[in-house]
Amino acid sequence: MMKVLIVDDSAVMRKVIIRELLKIGVEQANIQEAPDGLVGLEVASKNAFDLILMDWNMPGMLGIDVVRQLRGAGITTPIMMVTTEGEKTNVVTAIQAGANNYLVKPFTPEDFAAKVAQSTAVKV
Amino acid sequence: MMMNAAGQSTNAIDAKLVNTLMKAVMEVCGTMAGTQVTLKEVVPSLDYKPTGDISGVIGISGDYGEGMLTLSFTEPMAALLVGRLLGMPPEEICSEDMCDGIGELVNIVSGRAKTSLSEDSGTLYRLSLPSIIKGPGHEITGRPKNCPFLFLVFEAEGHSFVLQVTFRYF
Repeated sequence: MMKVLIVDDSAVMRKVIIRELLKIGVEQANIQEAPDGLVGLEVASKNAFDLILMDWNMPGMLGIDVVRQLRGAGITTPIMMVTTEGEKTNVVTAIQAGANNYLVKPFTPEDFAAKVAQSTAVKV
Repeated sequence: MMMNAAGQSTNAIDAKLVNTLMKAVMEVCGTMAGTQVTLKEVVPSLDYKPTGDISGVIGISGDYGEGMLTLSFTEPMAALLVGRLLGMPPEEICSEDMCDGIGELVNIVSGRAKTSLSEDSGTLYRLSLPSIIKGPGHEITGRPKNCPFLFLVFEAEGHSFVLQVTFRYF
């Protein structure tokens, strides 16, 4: 059973993502939430997940910095950025930091499902 | 019309930016909230003083320009959109989710504008974190002095809502 961590400061966006995860068969009990980057870093460092969904702009610590810290600590869990940061340069920055995939908001349920499938098929 | 060194108008909102924002509002409401939205009118007048019950405000700035986007809704319109976003009936949307949801909508719309401005200029524009103003019938008139502005008025399912765009190139 796939375990997923959602790191996003918007409670509404976390609920939207949970709904999409439930649609593709992830069980509610296997979904954890973090309301900012610092909590996300702590939870991802102490628990095993199959996928981390990471917002970019959050108070406290940016999602991109959480990605860098996790990769620096040797954590290889697939990470997919889910963000409004749509510039190509940001996509490149995220991939260089260690993110595996990138989904720009707004997204369709089909885009989301396809990117999750891609993200969990490859490990860094 | 006054132009800067890059040939951008410093006293009018760029048509491409308006187009990007119009498409972003329609796309966000359509793909994430399952609500078809149409542009009713574009109003560039100081005399136009729309009101809203809940507004999301976000600042945008870069090397070549700065501005502010304000999306304002009546409470029923906001509840409809946030409810669709969450897959819940509008009457079950709590105040906290309403504010958070409107903040996220203005964040996504602004993200599209930022991407467009950044890719056109070859530099990165930045967004502030969204702020929410809540209060029945507040006026949507705040903008920097002498800054070009426009109101985009949208319609969906018998409701309307307003996007105020203020932006100036340096």
